[in-house]
Amino acid sequence: MRLPDRVTGLFLVGLGAAAAYGGWQLPPVPGQPVGPNVFPLVIGTGLALCGLAIAFGIGHSFEEEEELIPVEGGQPKPAPPGRLYGLRALLPPALLLFYVAVADRLGFIITAGLIVFVTSTALGARWKLSLPLAVLAPIGVHLIFSKLLRVPLPAGLLPMPW
Amino acid sequence: MLKTLIDAFALITTWEVIIAMFAASVYGLVIGSLPGLSATMATALLVPVTFYLSPIAAIATIVAASTMAIFSGDIPGALLRIPGTPASAAYADEAYAMTRKGEAELALGAGVWFSAVGGIAGTLSLMVLAPPLAEIALSFSTFEYFWLALLGLMCATLVARSSPVKAIAGMFLGLLVSCVGIENPGGVPRFTFGMTDLFGGIEPIPALVGVFAVAQVMRAMLTPEPPPIPKRKFGSIMAGQWLLTKKYHWQMTRGNIIGIIIGVLPGAGADMAAWVSYAMSKRFSKEPEKFGTGHVEGLVEAGASNNASIASGWVPSLLFGIPGDTIAAIAIGVLYMKGLNPGPTLFTEKASSMYAIYLMFIIANILMIPLGIIMIRLASYVLRAPRSSIMPIIMLCCAVGSFAIGNNMFGVVTVATFGIIGYVMEENGYPVAAMVLGIVMGTMIEQSFVTSLIKSDGSILPFVERPIAAILAAMAIGALAWPLLVWVWRKIRGVAPAAASAR
Repeated sequence: MRLPDRVTGLFLVGLGAAAAYGGWQLPPVPGQPVGPNVFPLVIGTGLALCGLAIAFGIGHSFEEEEELIPVEGGQPKPAPPGRLYGLRALLPPALLLFYVAVADRLGFIITAGLIVFVTSTALGARWKLSLPLAVLAPIGVHLIFSKLLRVPLPAGLLPMPW
Repeated sequence: MLKTLIDAFALITTWEVIIAMFAASVYGLVIGSLPGLSATMATALLVPVTFYLSPIAAIATIVAASTMAIFSGDIPGALLRIPGTPASAAYADEAYAMTRKGEAELALGAGVWFSAVGGIAGTLSLMVLAPPLAEIALSFSTFEYFWLALLGLMCATLVARSSPVKAIAGMFLGLLVSCVGIENPGGVPRFTFGMTDLFGGIEPIPALVGVFAVAQVMRAMLTPEPPPIPKRKFGSIMAGQWLLTKKYHWQMTRGNIIGIIIGVLPGAGADMAAWVSYAMSKRFSKEPEKFGTGHVEGLVEAGASNNASIASGWVPSLLFGIPGDTIAAIAIGVLYMKGLNPGPTLFTEKASSMYAIYLMFIIANILMIPLGIIMIRLASYVLRAPRSSIMPIIMLCCAVGSFAIGNNMFGVVTVATFGIIGYVMEENGYPVAAMVLGIVMGTMIEQSFVTSLIKSDGSILPFVERPIAAILAAMAIGALAWPLLVWVWRKIRGVAPAAASAR
């Protein structure tokens, strides 16, 4: 997902401009010399300027090309097999949104079990590991958060006996 | 003073605090040692648990977990050449080279010992710096707070190891996030797009969990699993450390001081401290040619540095609510929830709580030595846990934890969104720490600016009239002008030789 600086820079210009416009539209508050519209305006302008600088490589000379030490994986990455491979990174947030969408209906245990199973399989676990994990991890988390910490987790179809 | 100390002792010698501290220590050691799980992530995932603890126990878990995790990241760095946390990345190569030379014990022992020394030095700096600063800060008004917040935001450029422009962009993004909601001086809903969930603004804690935990799971999806650690027998781990301390006492002290300074600076934390100290050590070493071949000197200095920054990062956090590093940013959130709102009055009204924090830091750093040794000996078992069994549990903790913060599902949406934002930013070289700085400090800078203007009836004169405000203003303007001057200077110097050679 490494994008060219031109793309991220222009995105920031767009976002900054939108923020500045949005701020400009806000009504001033009587009695406040600097109203709630000023900060978004300033921030949006700043963001857009930064975006421009990035897109056109201004201030690039400050940049020392550093050797990026990978936080994990000492070896160089193998070439990603295919374009769709990069989309795997979107799986975790997608699963969290899935949780938001169905947890109330299915209940915590079932939803969490599905999330654990999918995440674990996507990271290369065999079913011998991912299946028991999908059963035990939600129960363990439920025990800690619902029983000990009293977080009201949705019961759904499979309420826990405690 | 003595009475406060006794009160502080009474506060931390309850079973709740002792158990919380011990459990958080073990948790921090394990999370820190697993590659890809950072100390900040360990702290962020602890937050929902801290809700249900007493204030002191809640702080105890954060102190213990962050201290342990920063050391623990050295373990896979030395044994696998894969840093467990970014804070150990600076010297992972060096430590691994030592392991290959058969000096794994010395490298890991130096990690434990100098981390503990560094941590205690950082705590001493917290004890020495914070109270007198609090004395001064008691007279601060919104004018001074505005300049302080501005100076803090400018430190965003410090967290950039590559492009300062991208760091500033990250900071603006964070400020933009802090604009959302009706929590502004005018009480006007901003950027809510009619969604009631956004009226309350975006909570910093779920945003931090997303940026540091979810983004990490996303990254794991695309990176290969680290290799298993080879089983090995360790000899005595602490042997020879006293000798090293005597031999490299100057390097150690310098590491401590650099760590403390970087910790105090807003935004920049343990990883920056380690990088700077390692580079410093190499620069001033009598035998720089040995660096990179398994030389312990850099390890001593950087190890002493990154742990020193943890405690000193609490100085601006406790005094002004300005996060000294990303871990302290989370700690600030917890302090607010626990009614220990950051500010100079903490040191007068809640003095015993402050002493309790100092004591907990010292205890955590002493506890690190025995627990760290046990952890090193068990490392080959702990590091055998496959990523595919740890990441799913982290996912569940993200979902449940972010729900627990406000008991609403919107928190989970926030976590997911910030996971994507954090992932894309890191991938493209935008430092996430700069955004965190913006998110945490956006409200503060706006509030202090607007209230100041209301107080002064629209005049900006008081911003520079009050003596301390004037000093802070000069510092802020100087910091702003400095890179520009350097740039112009370089341009002139750069053009002159070019012109000369053209002639």
